[in-house]
Amino acid sequence: MPREVPVIARRLLVPALLLAFATVASARQRPSDHGSIVIVMGGEPSTPVPTLLGMKANDDVSELMFLRLARPGLGKSVSDEHGYEAELARSWSRRDSLTLVFELDPRARWHDGVPVTARDIVWSFERMRDSTVDPDRALLLRHITTVTAENDHRVVIRFRRAYPEQFYDATYQVQPLPAHLVDTIPPARFAGSAFVQHPIGNGPYRWSRREPGRQLELVANPGFFLGAPKLDRVVILFSRDPDARMNMLLDGSVDAYEGMSAISGPKRLEGNPAYRIESQPSFDLMYLLFNQRAYGDRSRPHPILADPDVRRALAMGINRVPVLRSTYGAYSQGADAPVTGAHWTRSLVPAGIGYDPAGARALLQRRGWIDHDGDGIRDKDGVPLNLRLNLYSGSAERGLMAPQIQEQLRQLGVGIEIQRLEGAVWFARRNKGEFDIDFSGTTMDPSPNGIVQSWTCAGRSGTNVGQYCDPAVDSLIERAMTSTRNPESNWRAAYAALQRDVPAIFLASPRALFAVHTRYRNVTIRPESFYGSIWRWSVDPRRRIARDGPGA
Amino acid sequence: MVGGSPPAYRARRPGRLTPVSRWLFRRLLQAALTFAAAVVLLFFLMRLAPGDPLSRLAGDRAISEQELEFLRRRFGLNQPLVTQFRAFLGGIAQGDLGVSIEHYPEKVTSLLASRLPATLLLGGTVLLLNFIVGVWLGVTQAVRRGSRFDRWMTRLALAGYATPSFWLGLVLVAFVSLRWHLLPAAQMTDPLLPLDASPWTRAVDVLRHLALPALTLSLTSIAIMMRHQRAAMLSVFRLDYVSAARARGLTERRVLWRHAWRNTLAPMITLLGLWLPILVSGSIFVEAIFNWPGLGSLANDAIAARDYPVLLGTAMLVSGAVVLAGLLADVGYTIADPRVRQE
Repeated sequence: MPREVPVIARRLLVPALLLAFATVASARQRPSDHGSIVIVMGGEPSTPVPTLLGMKANDDVSELMFLRLARPGLGKSVSDEHGYEAELARSWSRRDSLTLVFELDPRARWHDGVPVTARDIVWSFERMRDSTVDPDRALLLRHITTVTAENDHRVVIRFRRAYPEQFYDATYQVQPLPAHLVDTIPPARFAGSAFVQHPIGNGPYRWSRREPGRQLELVANPGFFLGAPKLDRVVILFSRDPDARMNMLLDGSVDAYEGMSAISGPKRLEGNPAYRIESQPSFDLMYLLFNQRAYGDRSRPHPILADPDVRRALAMGINRVPVLRSTYGAYSQGADAPVTGAHWTRSLVPAGIGYDPAGARALLQRRGWIDHDGDGIRDKDGVPLNLRLNLYSGSAERGLMAPQIQEQLRQLGVGIEIQRLEGAVWFARRNKGEFDIDFSGTTMDPSPNGIVQSWTCAGRSGTNVGQYCDPAVDSLIERAMTSTRNPESNWRAAYAALQRDVPAIFLASPRALFAVHTRYRNVTIRPESFYGSIWRWSVDPRRRIARDGPGA
Repeated sequence: MVGGSPPAYRARRPGRLTPVSRWLFRRLLQAALTFAAAVVLLFFLMRLAPGDPLSRLAGDRAISEQELEFLRRRFGLNQPLVTQFRAFLGGIAQGDLGVSIEHYPEKVTSLLASRLPATLLLGGTVLLLNFIVGVWLGVTQAVRRGSRFDRWMTRLALAGYATPSFWLGLVLVAFVSLRWHLLPAAQMTDPLLPLDASPWTRAVDVLRHLALPALTLSLTSIAIMMRHQRAAMLSVFRLDYVSAARARGLTERRVLWRHAWRNTLAPMITLLGLWLPILVSGSIFVEAIFNWPGLGSLANDAIAARDYPVLLGTAMLVSGAVVLAGLLADVGYTIADPRVRQE
């Protein structure tokens, strides 16, 4: 005979069942924090595949689909391997000063379900070290001698020599590709391959579709091994016109605007509760580059700017504060060397040349630049102190700053002729050395080592278009890059030496501005990429809108 | 009315072309030659313009001379101009316009094909609005000459005529989209429209996005159309055959549209011939303001980036449209006016 259920249990049974039902029902009704995001950017990401040489837009979007072995931690030094966040590599260790060992996360999968293995990493490094595929990337990876797989999940990377940024080179420069899908495609046919039309990555988002000229859409990878993304769809729109981008934001067509202009963006968003401005130190640098060689003739020194005292006087004559305030408002910080606000070495830069118009006049006078004919422009041996400033007309910021700089230098007795050039012409003239001063803007590599490209003698055949060369500075930079002990003091010495030579007037490192809808939570933005942490964002369940999809 | 006996036509010998066919053949040949000359000129003039086509690829990042050389080799820019031209002609013979530099590895033909529908939609809507609204307003104005309606329409037409379309576009966006939130400010479709949305939903979505750019382009060009139509109608109203048609007791509607309006078609066909290339060329300013994904914005980008293959592709399409529009206008004259056929 079955045992009778005690009275107390019978009395508790019904409330317990009701409670359980209510709990389940409330869990079902709990509003979801999933949603979608529409982002507008300035360029069209047509082929967001890491190994293809391409525009910034492609590199940015590839961050959503392709992981690296590890990623520099927020605000951490790129030379500190303990400051990195794990991505494809679960852990890493050193065998010696020349050997790094990475253990891959066994949970990592390609979007087609195949596990990410050491073979993928080895193949990708081999492809990227091939100078016929990407000469610049191959140059950055030149210190790596071998990349080998010890087993399915262990990769060993060996270096030619010891230097502080080995770990950075091993992790940041290569976003691995699925070898099982691409190893049979010859490099020459890769760009036109089916893989590039529908890339298969290993990141938080999978390729969904692309409508050329209109939009690109990615969907969440629910099996993403680091955690399923909360934003189910990422739609990327593009427009070259900054005003059109802002209009799309203000009429609610898009949720985020990447790379907003500091000139008009904050003002137009003022008092709009739907959006907040996120600003981050960036790797962007604005500077006035001096040509060390004659205009369009690299065989001769520049008749005026070859003299470092003249360069110094020009730097002393520019008051950056009002120029930057009127252009960027609060969204920039002054630069005193080729170091941006996001570089870990920014605190190592000695104070730069201050604004000193009286000192500038005196220095020019000492160098023989005097206004003999009273026309307001100094001259020497019959040569007036007139310089051509090349300016890319597509940059509103540079367009605002240039006339102010022109006026400040005019007060010193220096004539500046502003040459506004469209992008293609500006680029061509810059590369041919057809400028006296070039108003340059560049996005630097996250590693301070990137200065090798533009500020050393070796860079003169490449991006060092100003042809600045000082072997003493070269050796200081080399020492800073390679010293494993106390690199800080070496970087400080290298920057101080650069400042003494005044190869350019470093103006500012503008902050990167993003407008983001206020319904998003957990919004963090990495300086090296806006897109790197979108998968961690979520939607405030109380503020969902129609395009976030069904709420429960 | 023109009187007399009809012209005597000689019997056509078998195998010989009729005068109209001969004229058409000559006109086609002329159009083909014009197009070929335009293509050759475009090819060389573009390359003579200063600027480096790799600038957009480099963007703001540092790019070494080796990489630039590598890219030049990839796009054949390191070859002599004549070799490049020969390769271009070889490509055309196979229907291949090459690969875009900026949108590498996208083929120019597929880029053009992807942008053409948006441009045809916008251009077609604008042309349709121009002709339907412009003609109707112009005819009504002529009929009600001197009335308050005529005076107001004349003022509005002058205002529309004097209004730059890019300014009008900005004003419409500022009020209709940003202030009143009635229509979207940009794009051709809602980016998050579900893939399985019904055709009706899709059509409504496209129409909502089309409204402002079409209105921007139309408002200025309708003004031109109605001014021309009004003037043409007024000049025809004075002619004897219109009075004769009225005297024969025909209805005013029949007199207006069958007799008077038909004889104003020649200048309208000229206008149509001039505007027809808009169908494919798009409008650079308006497409930029509304982020309309058409050929105008593609061409604009290609010009800025010196993307020679895309630039040539769009320029060829526009040249072809101009030549074709001229040809169609000539054929249109012969259909609309029998006197032209006789000449």
